[in-house]
Amino acid sequence: MLQDYDITALIITLRLAATTTIILLIVGTPIAWWLANTRSRLRSTIEAIIALPLVLPPTVLGFYLLLAFSPDGPVGKAVAALGLPSLAFSFTGLVLGSVIYSMPFVVQPLQNSFVSLGKRPLEVAATLGASAIDRFISVVLPLSKMGYLTAAVLGFAHTLGEFGVVLMIGGNIPGQTQVLSIAIYDHVEALEYGQAHWLAGGLLIGSFLVLLMVYGANRRIHLMKTA
Amino acid sequence: MIEVELHLQRSEFQLNVEFSVPGHGVSAVFGPSGCGKTTLLRAIAGLEPDATGSLEVNGRKWQSPLKRLPVEARGVGLVFQHPSLFPHLTVEENLFYGMKRLRKVSNPFDIKELILILGIEQLLKRHPDSLSGGELQRVALGRALLAEPKLLLMDEPLSMLDQASREILMQLLESFLQQIDIPVLYVTHSSEEVARLADNLVLLSRGGVTACGPTTTVLASLNSELSRSESAFSVLQGRISNKELSGLLSVECSDGIDLKVPASESMVAKHYNLGRAVRLRIRARDVSICLERPQQSSILNILPAVIMEISTSSDSGSRVIKLDIAGMHILSKISDYSVQQLGLHTGQAVFAQIKSASLV
Repeated sequence: MLQDYDITALIITLRLAATTTIILLIVGTPIAWWLANTRSRLRSTIEAIIALPLVLPPTVLGFYLLLAFSPDGPVGKAVAALGLPSLAFSFTGLVLGSVIYSMPFVVQPLQNSFVSLGKRPLEVAATLGASAIDRFISVVLPLSKMGYLTAAVLGFAHTLGEFGVVLMIGGNIPGQTQVLSIAIYDHVEALEYGQAHWLAGGLLIGSFLVLLMVYGANRRIHLMKTA
Repeated sequence: MIEVELHLQRSEFQLNVEFSVPGHGVSAVFGPSGCGKTTLLRAIAGLEPDATGSLEVNGRKWQSPLKRLPVEARGVGLVFQHPSLFPHLTVEENLFYGMKRLRKVSNPFDIKELILILGIEQLLKRHPDSLSGGELQRVALGRALLAEPKLLLMDEPLSMLDQASREILMQLLESFLQQIDIPVLYVTHSSEEVARLADNLVLLSRGGVTACGPTTTVLASLNSELSRSESAFSVLQGRISNKELSGLLSVECSDGIDLKVPASESMVAKHYNLGRAVRLRIRARDVSICLERPQQSSILNILPAVIMEISTSSDSGSRVIKLDIAGMHILSKISDYSVQQLGLHTGQAVFAQIKSASLV
């Protein structure tokens, strides 16, 4: 059965994934909007930087984040100067790492969704007197529902499965920075296969159900469009 | 007045227009495809951020070298070539999208009546994806009007429709655009639409204005590219004076000058009452010139005319002749050879044979 510290790890993981997803949806929206609409030459550079976590081993990212967060690192110094607690081995540090690590999984679906929207609906809304923010809320958001759902699910699921970055910058402190994926690893190391099964199996079934819901919603929207 | 002076530089194209049209009625912007009609309309709406110059609509400055009103502050209605309803809203929600955003609703239209005129009362609860092209365009027109625009822009609104729905919408526009108190700029490349709808005409060619003024005057001018092209035509205004002829209507265009035009009996019964104002379109190539009145001709309309002006010879060896028929001006396109043979010259009295004229 699940033990207390497994449940703690589960709660930390869900909190981490939820926080990361919310931050990413907020931060990712303007980035994706800019990428979808800009004619700037900087676009490909920014796109490449955001896509880096897709190809880099998480340990590489974790390593550099750890250096940056360390008391001598640029981020560490800035944080210390502001009188805030260190980011390394803290939940806040994990959130920051996860935001960077899961960024492409949120930005790319949003960007695709904004591109496929085209300019026309926004131009129509503008001629009908809608301001920029009004256009975004009344036209872009409802027409990008599927993009947001996909982005949220992918961002959440990807943060759920994070291992390398968390291990490097989180330090696997039970009750603070120990997440599910690392708890599973610990159980396996300790040959506690039964407990590893509970966690791993739970994660497997949970992830499957979430994806099933997304594809189901996707299909319904698709059917509605063709009906 | 609507005063436009706009410039836009693109890599492969530039727009440099300067014209003014009255601040009421329908003004058509006419020209071949690729001449910049749509770009001009978008620049007027404020959708081309790179457009410079100045723009004034009935006393309101929409753009000056120093300041540009954003699109949403202009109060412009735009009906696109492709009907562009919001797919996530019902027809009703689409209709009221602009109206809901008005600071002050002054309701120039009776909403119920407008919905009936547009013939969309059955569609209100439906989603746009279940509507036909003609229905979509009528809803788009209603949506633009309910937002109480200061200027209505229409970009070839009929061109994507099939013949039947085009005719329905055209008849609606003909009667409706004249009634509303909103100036309309109507982009088209169809001479029929110009003849039927436009009070004023702006001719556009390769990004510049070549002529501008009342439709009949612009069409009768020999200086425009249009008058020298194959599609040159004239528009006459008149009233139905006799509907008792079988298959024909008689239209009085000027004192004592009647033109006979073909009209199907069903149309005559349905639409054309005695005295109704109508417009006729006459293609320049359907008008020929005789020195004496031909006797026993199958051509119905033979009228005495005076030659006002003869164009220079075109590449294709034809000339356009501007004729005065009791104060009306129509164009005739005949060959250079005929002009020489008949010895035609300005001021000469001749007879114009109008092979066909159509009610538009």
